[in-house]
Amino acid sequence: MTRRIRFDLWTFVLIGAWAVLLILLVWPLSSILRASLLDNDTGAVSLIHYIEIFTTKVYQRAIGNTFIAGFGGMTGALILGVTLAFVTTRFHIYGRALIQTLAVIALVAPPFIGAYAWIVLFGASGVVRKGLASIGVSIPPLYGVAGVILVFSFKFFPHVFLITSGALGAINRSVEEAAESLGVSPMKRLFTVTLPLILPAIAASALLTFVLSIADFGTPRIIGRDFNVLATEAFNLFGGEVGGNPGMASALSIVLIILSMIIVFGQRWVLRKNVYYSNLMKKPERKHASGLKAVGLHALAYTIVLIGALPAIIVVMFSFRRTSGPVFQPGLSLQSYEKVIATVSAPIWNTLIFSSVAVVAIVISGTLIGYLISRRPNIATGALDALLMVPYIVPGIVMGIAFITRFNDPPIALTGTGLIIILAIYVRRLPYSARSVAAALKQVGPSLEDAAVSLGYSPGKAFMKVTVPLIVPGIMAGALMSFVTAMNELSSSLVLYVGSTITMPVRIYLSVMDGEYGTASALSTILLSMTAIAVYAAFHLSGRKESALL
Amino acid sequence: MADLKIQGLAKSYKDVRVLESIDLDIASGEFFTLLGPSGCGKTTLLRTIAGFQHQDKGEIIVKGERIDNKPAHKRDIGMVFQDYAIFPHLTVAENVAFGLKARSLPKSEIEARVAESLKMVRLDGYQNRLPAEMSGGQQQRVGLARAMAIRPTLLLMDEPLSNLDAKLRIELREDIRDIQRRLGITTIYVTHDQEEALAVSDRICVMNKGNVEQIGTPFEIYRKPLRRFAAAFVGTMNFLPAQLDGGRLVVGGQSIPFPGSEGAVEVAIRPENVVLAGAGGEGDAILLKGEVRKVTFLGREAHYTLKTDVGEIVAQVADPEHDFIVMEGRQVEIRLPLNKIALFRPNGDVVKAGPAR
Repeated sequence: MTRRIRFDLWTFVLIGAWAVLLILLVWPLSSILRASLLDNDTGAVSLIHYIEIFTTKVYQRAIGNTFIAGFGGMTGALILGVTLAFVTTRFHIYGRALIQTLAVIALVAPPFIGAYAWIVLFGASGVVRKGLASIGVSIPPLYGVAGVILVFSFKFFPHVFLITSGALGAINRSVEEAAESLGVSPMKRLFTVTLPLILPAIAASALLTFVLSIADFGTPRIIGRDFNVLATEAFNLFGGEVGGNPGMASALSIVLIILSMIIVFGQRWVLRKNVYYSNLMKKPERKHASGLKAVGLHALAYTIVLIGALPAIIVVMFSFRRTSGPVFQPGLSLQSYEKVIATVSAPIWNTLIFSSVAVVAIVISGTLIGYLISRRPNIATGALDALLMVPYIVPGIVMGIAFITRFNDPPIALTGTGLIIILAIYVRRLPYSARSVAAALKQVGPSLEDAAVSLGYSPGKAFMKVTVPLIVPGIMAGALMSFVTAMNELSSSLVLYVGSTITMPVRIYLSVMDGEYGTASALSTILLSMTAIAVYAAFHLSGRKESALL
Repeated sequence: MADLKIQGLAKSYKDVRVLESIDLDIASGEFFTLLGPSGCGKTTLLRTIAGFQHQDKGEIIVKGERIDNKPAHKRDIGMVFQDYAIFPHLTVAENVAFGLKARSLPKSEIEARVAESLKMVRLDGYQNRLPAEMSGGQQQRVGLARAMAIRPTLLLMDEPLSNLDAKLRIELREDIRDIQRRLGITTIYVTHDQEEALAVSDRICVMNKGNVEQIGTPFEIYRKPLRRFAAAFVGTMNFLPAQLDGGRLVVGGQSIPFPGSEGAVEVAIRPENVVLAGAGGEGDAILLKGEVRKVTFLGREAHYTLKTDVGEIVAQVADPEHDFIVMEGRQVEIRLPLNKIALFRPNGDVVKAGPAR
């Protein structure tokens, strides 16, 4: 045997990736599992917390509500997203670019801005509600389960829209024409041919919206009132307004993670044989609808995206209104911005610095890990790929709690530093980058790198000179998604921040909770603008359109 | 100019042996083709020579020097890929210059060699095009120019024509052959297309299941196959069950003298050597009766599918007359001239090779 163990660049990357994930993911999360299995008083191993969860009314309700929020948000987002994707890919709609821009605005707006804006419009003293009341129409304030599901639907549908648009655009038209020639009506064709073909995309976006919905903390907290979910219960128990119960908080977190995992496996099961390979011959064409049908289709598409973007628009408008304490006054003013600049400019810098540092680290390691996963398949990289699913399904609150438990004392004492917030963001968003790069690599044939090697470049140089330039769009897409979500990260930062490391989303959340709506609007507008600049820059630099957000 | 020696090369993936102790001796300047069905190990062998894969055992020796311990990028071997592997983000000129830059040649030298290589593959003036603007055939020409520009010691080609349409394939294979002859570069060419192999090669190595079945000139491979696999894989071959018994060759009810071996054999004969009655013929031959089942008219020839007692035989008739077309269903006499047949043992070994001519 002349075979040697080859220690190259990728061996070190593999070791490094495992080290990072073990320290920043497995080790912290193990603390949650451990705490959930210990009795708070005696310190003995026991299942008391789990027993309590399944026997106490308030926790049973929280589990039930989490399911309701998850499935409700997922269903709403799927209906809106698939409808919009179908209308815009199959019919000629005027202002497609505008529709896509509005969808992107809805996507990049911080999640809790939506909740807050809906309160401004339809809350107890909401503008629309009051307006309607003045003409004699009375609607109930938008709190509770309906509000949460509504906000999730309009918040998360752009994910579905962007993912399924791509899939719908990639269906071979001949397949649909074949169905038509076999005598299948257009409506039946939609359900028997078109939708099954894009099932993988639908399932992927269903999983994403479900997990986003059950992990979301800000929306149920702000708009849910007595609609408690696992994420809010865990935060309350941990946050300790009433003393705190870390064991219970941990057990709830574990239940939340298990729920997400069930859904992940469910998705895998649905897709177990739905792998379609198609040599795309003919792209689907957009039909010109006419008359009432055209009007209806336009109205449908624009209604969905306008309502989706409404919270962002409202927040921007309200940031320029005069306020007096929590109450908006008639007239325009920059006083909210003056107040922000005068008193709370630290969060702006914190947000920018934390996000930028995290994203640089994410892009570098995500690119290397993505390459490893797609080009060096073996047991070690396969397990790494599976482990990278975990940050997707662990809610930010849980990650924050895990970090604060493990990194509170030496050897790694980070509590209260900016680094701990950066590391939490890093490990939570690393999968976006790694998976985006892995997907981009599927489009680049491995023989390109072989060609470069045969022409005299070492494997490392071949990777830098040939592969990296070709996957720049994928790298950019992952970086953009990481940056946008990093800037808007609320849940883990809320657990990890101290006075000097407060970030904008946390500041906005606190302002909303304190009723300082003017400050919240101004801060949200600034955050939205920063996000928009990042998105625009990324589109501009990568020369790509909205699909960069996938 | 470089010669290549491969000794005892073996490789397995887990339990599957993809290469069983391969020995090859390729002369300097030779156009050597590895021919075989998919999965026969030919691409693995080529990629092992290139250094993209590593053998478990054996040696690869170029110009008397072992290269198998060198990494791929230090072997100085040009490679042309099935899917072209043209860098889509670089222009044609940048693609061709890619390997030259790795060698840190002076700029003027690089420019001269790029121009020379592009001229060689008849892509003069395409310097600033991007690959996306070019056809498959043009892209593969760029691939060839790029591999040749580094003036490699060996040129490896991995099914370079299989993604092209029939006409381009023939045109480009002629170009490849001309360029290879002119530069005299030792070339190893992988293909599963036997016609292509016959057309371009100095010598062909027929491979099956990780083994070398036969090495020979195109003429030897086609006319004197030494293994049943080579006989069946290259060109069309009729196989009929037969018996060697008491100094006679027995085919169906017929027998003719054939001294020597004993036992079960298969008679192999090319369609163009099957003679239909009326066409006459001299010398020893196996005579059979058959019915014309199907006539396939191919222009310069026609194929007759004949049903006989011993099995189906395809006969080729050159320059068919009009009346041959209406032969379906007729009975005909079939002559299999003894000096045109080959005999194979059930294990695939040859008993009697084909005609020497």
